[in-house]
Amino acid sequence: MSRFFTTGSDSESESSLSGEELVTKPVGGNYGKQPLLLSEDEEDTKRVVRSAKDKRFEELTNLIRTIRNAMKIRDVTKCLEEFELLGKAYGKAKSIVDKEGVPRFYIRILADLEDYLNELWEDKEGKKKMNKNNAKALSTLRQKIRKYNRDFESHITSYKQNPEQSADEDAEKNEEDSEDEDEDEDGVSAATFLKKKSEAPSGESRKFLKKMDDEDEDSEDSEDDEDWDTGSTSSDSDSEEEEGKQTALASRFLKKAPTTDEDKKAAEKKREDKAKKKHDRKSKRLDEEEEDNEGGEWERVRGGVPLVKKPKMFAKGTEITHAVVIKKLNEILQARGKKGTDRAAQIELLQLLVQIAAENNLGEGVIVKIKFNIIASLYDYNPNLATYMKPEMWGKCLDCINELMDILFANPNIFVGENILEESENLHNADQPLRVRGCILTLVERMDEEFTKIMQNTDPHSQEYVEHLKDEAQVCAIIERVQRYLEEKGTTEEVCRIYLLRILHTYYKFDYKAHQRQLTPPEGSSKSEQDQAENEGEDSAVLMERLCKYIYAKDRTDRIRTCAILCHIYHHALHSRWYQARDLMLMSHLQDNIQHADPPVQILYNRTMVQLGICAFRQGLTKDAHNALLDIQSSGRAKELLGQGLLLRSLQERNQEQEKVERRRQVPFHLHINLELLECVYLVSAMLLEIPYMAAHESDARRRMISKQFHHQLRVGERQPLLGPPESMREHVVAASKAMKMGDWKTCHSFIINEKMNGKVWDLFPEADKVRTMLVRKIQEESLRTYLFTYSSVYDSISMETLSDMFELDLPTVHSIISKMIINEELMASLDQPTQTVVMHRTEPTAQQNLALQLAEKLGSLVENNERVFDHKQGTYGGYFRDQKDGYRKNEGYMRRGGYRQQQSQTAY
Amino acid sequence: MASRKEGTGSTATSSSSTAGAAGKGKGKGGSGDSAVKQVQIDGLVVLKIIKHYQEEGQGTEVVQGVLLGLVVEDRLEITNCFPFPQHTEDDADFDEVQYQMEMMRSLRHVNIDHLHVGWYQSTYYGSFVTRALLDSQFSYQHAIEESVVLIYDPIKTAQGSLSLKAYRLTPKLMEVCKEKDFSPEALKKANITFEYMFEEVPIVIKNSHLINVLMWELEKKSAVADKHELLSLASSNHLGKNLQLLMDRVDEMSQDIVKYNTYMRNTSKQQQQKHQQENMQRQSRGEPPLPEEDLSKLFKPPQPPARMDSLLIAGQINTYCQNIKEFTAQNLGKLFMAQALQEYNN
Repeated sequence: MSRFFTTGSDSESESSLSGEELVTKPVGGNYGKQPLLLSEDEEDTKRVVRSAKDKRFEELTNLIRTIRNAMKIRDVTKCLEEFELLGKAYGKAKSIVDKEGVPRFYIRILADLEDYLNELWEDKEGKKKMNKNNAKALSTLRQKIRKYNRDFESHITSYKQNPEQSADEDAEKNEEDSEDEDEDEDGVSAATFLKKKSEAPSGESRKFLKKMDDEDEDSEDSEDDEDWDTGSTSSDSDSEEEEGKQTALASRFLKKAPTTDEDKKAAEKKREDKAKKKHDRKSKRLDEEEEDNEGGEWERVRGGVPLVKKPKMFAKGTEITHAVVIKKLNEILQARGKKGTDRAAQIELLQLLVQIAAENNLGEGVIVKIKFNIIASLYDYNPNLATYMKPEMWGKCLDCINELMDILFANPNIFVGENILEESENLHNADQPLRVRGCILTLVERMDEEFTKIMQNTDPHSQEYVEHLKDEAQVCAIIERVQRYLEEKGTTEEVCRIYLLRILHTYYKFDYKAHQRQLTPPEGSSKSEQDQAENEGEDSAVLMERLCKYIYAKDRTDRIRTCAILCHIYHHALHSRWYQARDLMLMSHLQDNIQHADPPVQILYNRTMVQLGICAFRQGLTKDAHNALLDIQSSGRAKELLGQGLLLRSLQERNQEQEKVERRRQVPFHLHINLELLECVYLVSAMLLEIPYMAAHESDARRRMISKQFHHQLRVGERQPLLGPPESMREHVVAASKAMKMGDWKTCHSFIINEKMNGKVWDLFPEADKVRTMLVRKIQEESLRTYLFTYSSVYDSISMETLSDMFELDLPTVHSIISKMIINEELMASLDQPTQTVVMHRTEPTAQQNLALQLAEKLGSLVENNERVFDHKQGTYGGYFRDQKDGYRKNEGYMRRGGYRQQQSQTAY
Repeated sequence: MASRKEGTGSTATSSSSTAGAAGKGKGKGGSGDSAVKQVQIDGLVVLKIIKHYQEEGQGTEVVQGVLLGLVVEDRLEITNCFPFPQHTEDDADFDEVQYQMEMMRSLRHVNIDHLHVGWYQSTYYGSFVTRALLDSQFSYQHAIEESVVLIYDPIKTAQGSLSLKAYRLTPKLMEVCKEKDFSPEALKKANITFEYMFEEVPIVIKNSHLINVLMWELEKKSAVADKHELLSLASSNHLGKNLQLLMDRVDEMSQDIVKYNTYMRNTSKQQQQKHQQENMQRQSRGEPPLPEEDLSKLFKPPQPPARMDSLLIAGQINTYCQNIKEFTAQNLGKLFMAQALQEYNN
């Protein structure tokens, strides 16, 4: 068979099956694909295709056989299962089917199955007899196949018209297919050739290219195509080639170079391509259509990265005007969001368009418009929310936004807004202010999200993370620029939003410069110039104050205000402005209703509370620190609550979807609060509170623990069979607690503050030394209290000087602590001023007395309960006359026993 | 310790005889036909029990063992014993019965009394009145009528007076246990209270004459300071522990009573309600109201709480109280002695 004949018949068969359009059309794309997918060895290529085809078809036939069997035994459930498998297998075989056409047997089974199902459906009686599963499967399958067959309608009708002939045709077509493939090879060789050498395509390849075109235009006669192919178009393409040589070919070569050079990369690409094959094909089709519409030539698009030539956009000689460019832009945009759109190609196209627009001086309006769209498509690039931008994309995105901002700043007469309608846009009329639809704020917010995503998905301990983190400055700069822009032009709402963004990028950073400035009084004018320059920037505190206040005043959405308050508190707390932070927290009343907020805000709230607690601790306010941290720490899920990692939980508790959502909520690593520090702060404050309390209420049966977690740690410590020197932070705290219990503050001190703990915890504070001195003092004071509680019973009196020596506290402090204890009635003693001694009153009951008192109390309640039983008996006494005798006897018995018990309890008193 | 054997032996007998008298006095009604009137223990057994505790028991852990001997008339002579191995989680498949049989067989080979006459157990501050003890003593007494349980209190012994007591379940309690019905009604019918649960059997420690002679010899030689443990005034710890334990039991008792109280309330409420409902219905249908018996058949009353536990707790409280009483009495005596001594010296 001659080649021409083959092509002719091929297209004939196709045109006869008009409904097939969808399936067959992408063939062209597939051809284009081939060279890239396969290695350079053509022979090899061929074999691969063959075997793949056989394999797929065999799979299909096997499935079909089982379906037929199931049909015979009326097992509809089985049919349904197999049908679903068949659908999948067909999906897999799609690439081959695209080439070969839909196999006859496939159509046959579809048609048969539908008939069969309809038959079953009509057969009311048979349906009744069917068991439930089958009946259900029947209705599902019927619906499914109906839907499915809609795609193959024409095939099926033709099959139904003459089943035999089509069966014959099938065989014939197979032959054709093989021929087709031969041609395929030509295409392959041409394409590869073209790619590799980057020379002008040979006539053959051109022909081949043309052929693909034919297929696109089904309506056209194949013969005509052929003519056109050899005739008119060749010149066209030639001219096109010449024109594009300098630019596009070079770029194509460049694009190609890395792929050929680096095999690995190429392989990767291939894999990617395979996955995207279907999509690509469709997108290419779209592209082609567009190009056709433009009246220019179309160009083959190579897997993922398009090799776009400028002329492809606009036909040669077309005068590039606004209208044309906008039209083009709209065309490109129409493809956006559609399933098969090649997003990378789209971006590329848009960028070219910008270039064209810039080259032709179309004015800023158009450029801004296109830029907006570029950024939008950059964001669209990733198909789902979970994946993050690739670094190069990210870089491009940042640049693009920066450029956009440049333009906007340079041209104050451009108005940008989301509420500007498409129709009312003014892109080029220079007399009036330019109006462009688009929202810079949304873009920036999206950029921020992307940045967070990138940070979330980078290993925080890698160099890469640091690299990414460097972009943070750029992100901040952009936000700042946008802020400036919006302050001029935006609505209050927009300003609030951008302010919040700014706040979110500011609140967690410790302002070292401001801190330094605070430490060195302002009269230090001997500073070098550089220092002063450094200090010129606004204090972050002032900045926060300004931004937050604006939001408090102007914001109408609750969420932004809440976030702003929380950030503000966090920032205060971070900079040790405890009272401001606390007051703000109390004023906000967030504690009451934070549980109704959405999870990210809750996470922010938790972070703020933790920061507040740590701040209180630094100020030496152990009680406040403990209270602030209690909620977070007592749950044992601090990690999760702060959004700093997922707990390993069974899959039953959360499914894949939830996990993804949770993962997205995670706070990037550079915002993390050190969990060990957090726990240590909590445990140490708990220790400072709990140990004296325990000592004071040693014999009190009703004492409650202040901190469960601390007690848990103590118990864990006690359970250790062998007590070595402490290793972890917790062990240190436990050991220190034990020392403190004995009033031994020096040991306690050495356990809390030492090399290991410094490294693990204390050095993480900005003012580590201050914290340490505070801590030592706290330990001394609390140890003194503990000592007095524990050992007051063995003293008649004790000199305050001795105490002050023992605990290395100065006399007034000791005096004040003891006075406080006496006032609070914690210590039964009085101060003897002349001798500077504490005289114990010894009014505290001894251990035995305490026990006896408790016992008396308990016996009291026992008697009470007993009496209640007795009362009960008496109560029923009147109610049941029938039981009179019995009841009376019962009463007697109980009275007696109750009496005994009372006696007994009296003896025990 | 051995040096004082004779002396302590006598005190043990005396103290137990007083307690036993009290127990007997109350238990007289039912225990008249008790099979054993007296327990005679060989010095060897006492020493073995003490040694067993010292080696294996500590703190709240108890040690247990088997008593061997024979019954002569109404006297139970305990001539030997052997310990049970301590239970651990590892050897859950340890067969106690097998072990006992083998032990006894081996002892028979060396011509030792091999009749099983009871068992012994150590105690922690006198807390031995438990369900476990009741159950095992019941099964012993069920199988071997004469068997007793010896309770050894190591803490008291350490304070200077050997504390060893023999207990048996009263026949009344035996009957109740046989019935396995611990409902309030059944216990009321059996007329059993915590005083009538256990009867104490007086103990006599018997040694051979040769040993007695040796004892006398040693007594003379021993230093005076060895005997002064009895006079130690430090008592707070012991008393505190006892109080604490007593308190725990009282708590349990309270809970029990509350439980019983709710039960009572529930029953009466249910009865009243159902009764009224049913009678209302019947009235509306024009039938005569149902008699009481039918009602109880119609509606299941709530499950009454078992009273045995509260009985045991009461018994335990009783023991503690007696302990404390005894202890405080002794201590007061000592304090008076000390005071007198001080005054005399001044």
